[in-house]
Amino acid sequence: MLKMNHLSKVYRTEVVETYALRDFNIDVKEGEFVAVTGPSGSGKTTFLTIAGLLETFSGGEYHLDGIEVSQLNDNARSKIRNEKIGFIFQAFNLIPDLNVYDNIEVPLRYRGMKGAERKQRIMDSLERVGLSSRAKHYPAELSGGQQQRVAIARALAGSPRLLLADEPTGNLDTQMARGVLELIEDIHRDGATIVMVTHDPELAARAQRNVHIIDGQVVDLSEEPRFHAHAGEAAQGQTL
Amino acid sequence: MAIRSTEIRPILASLRKHRIPALLIVLEIALACAVLCNAVFMISQRVSDIQLPSAIDQQGLVTVSLRGTDDKLVGSDIPRNLAALRGIAGVQQAAVTTSLPLSHNNWGWSFGVSPDSAVANRKNINVSLYFLGEGGGKALGLHVLQGRFFNADEFAGSKFDTAALPETHVVVMTRTAASRFWPGQSALGKTIYSKPFYYTVVGVVDDVLRPNVYTQNTSKSYDAIYFPMSAAGSKGAFSYYILRGAPKDRDRIMREAEQKLAELNPGAVAKGKIYMDIRNDYFADMRSMAWMLVLVCAVMLAVTAFGIVGLTSFWVGQRRRQIGIRRAVGATRGQILGYFRTENFLLSTAGVLIGMLLAFGINLYLMQHYEMSRMPWYYLPAGAVTLWLLGQLAVLGPALRAASVPPVEATRSV
Repeated sequence: MLKMNHLSKVYRTEVVETYALRDFNIDVKEGEFVAVTGPSGSGKTTFLTIAGLLETFSGGEYHLDGIEVSQLNDNARSKIRNEKIGFIFQAFNLIPDLNVYDNIEVPLRYRGMKGAERKQRIMDSLERVGLSSRAKHYPAELSGGQQQRVAIARALAGSPRLLLADEPTGNLDTQMARGVLELIEDIHRDGATIVMVTHDPELAARAQRNVHIIDGQVVDLSEEPRFHAHAGEAAQGQTL
Repeated sequence: MAIRSTEIRPILASLRKHRIPALLIVLEIALACAVLCNAVFMISQRVSDIQLPSAIDQQGLVTVSLRGTDDKLVGSDIPRNLAALRGIAGVQQAAVTTSLPLSHNNWGWSFGVSPDSAVANRKNINVSLYFLGEGGGKALGLHVLQGRFFNADEFAGSKFDTAALPETHVVVMTRTAASRFWPGQSALGKTIYSKPFYYTVVGVVDDVLRPNVYTQNTSKSYDAIYFPMSAAGSKGAFSYYILRGAPKDRDRIMREAEQKLAELNPGAVAKGKIYMDIRNDYFADMRSMAWMLVLVCAVMLAVTAFGIVGLTSFWVGQRRRQIGIRRAVGATRGQILGYFRTENFLLSTAGVLIGMLLAFGINLYLMQHYEMSRMPWYYLPAGAVTLWLLGQLAVLGPALRAASVPPVEATRSV
């Protein structure tokens, strides 16, 4: 489903180039639930934004659902994001001006879906996250857990093949976090591929597989204990 | 990317959250639309007044006024002066007249079609009187449509004597004046009256403007009649020598005519003017007003455009993260561009709807208080379309900036 080979992401300024990802390799199979862990600044979020086609990469290859994405133009990348990928962000990323119903409808409108089908999908997804009664509420009128469930409903409504979650419970208390995680597990059981970035070892333990990133590279903790020494360091900077 | 009808409902929902700035821009567009419609209408009226046709040889005419002559000698001086003027190279015709179209030098009178019509009769029609010396019709370049112009006897026999109107009984009138006196009928052979005077129409000429025009009712600007007048009987009423030549010669003709008349009439002041300058001077104020209105329109449109650019830029800056979220969930750059263009279209639509009502109201007010004409209906949709286009043009820059917001913006911290 998601395969990156020798992928790199470099941020360049006039005096320095910083590798956020370097020789990055990962292969996530269709239907897998993978947790991506690593210290702050290790490149987890950069990996997720590249995986979600929110950002381009500097080198290497990235195959998403069999498509090599480096050659795709902006419109094609938008279309893939819209049709194949669902996002759940730590900060929920709902549009504050729109109510719950309209927020969930945003990606469906961009897909050009007919009104009746949009309505059906929105109501089904709201039902699934237990917020049917909150369709007319605005994000500011909901708790953090409810807002994250709206974000999940927005992702669900599009029936994504790949769900990318960036610290989905990072802003939630334990009880709310549990509810959100259960929802993500539900979505996985329905067949979606899940890639979840998290700091939380408990959350990571719920995934089928854990991938650890340090200094912009995937490491196997069991084979490379020396990487523990670097945990917590920022990505490497190289002065030009 | 076209206006996106599927975005209308969420855009309206979003605008409800930003009522005050949205309302301000709507009002700005409304005001611009109202001012634009009325100002353009006024400009078009002024321009149409400035371009009022007048069936004389305007391009080829040169006039010279002679001040300080002895009225008692005009009977001999005028023929002598005219003979000298006709000798100037390039002069095709020369004559004298009491007044000229658009010269402000108006001699008005009212006539009726009934033998008992007196000058104060309410049913009478007010007309401007032009008294022409012999050859005046040809010198002006009048176009005779029906009948004839005056013959030599009629010129010779016409004089003011003790009355305000000539003793001869023939008149030539413009087509508009003829149809006003006798609507639907031929004026030839009919008589106009202003007791004790009466004049029979011997000819109808194409429309020539009066010395002053009526901007509110331009057809009245053509109510003019011509009388023949002899030099001896004119009692000094002839104000202008008129000379007709080729347009390319008119400057030279004017200079030579001034010189000749000054030589022949020592002590008098001869002042020449090209007729087109008389016409241009007449409309100078209107032209200034029209330009001022053009300036008002330009400033109004510029202020509106800057308002739209400013507000949209502000909104784009404020909504960068929101745009990033939209991009993240699949919006293309074109769809973001379309979003802002649609939003502007909706605001402009609200603005022009209010603006058209306002424009209509302003026009009604001006009609009641300033004798303005009714604005034709098509000015309203034309103003609306202009504001729509202006809005779309003004929003393009900020909308393109919005479309360039990358989807990764969604992941950045607030």
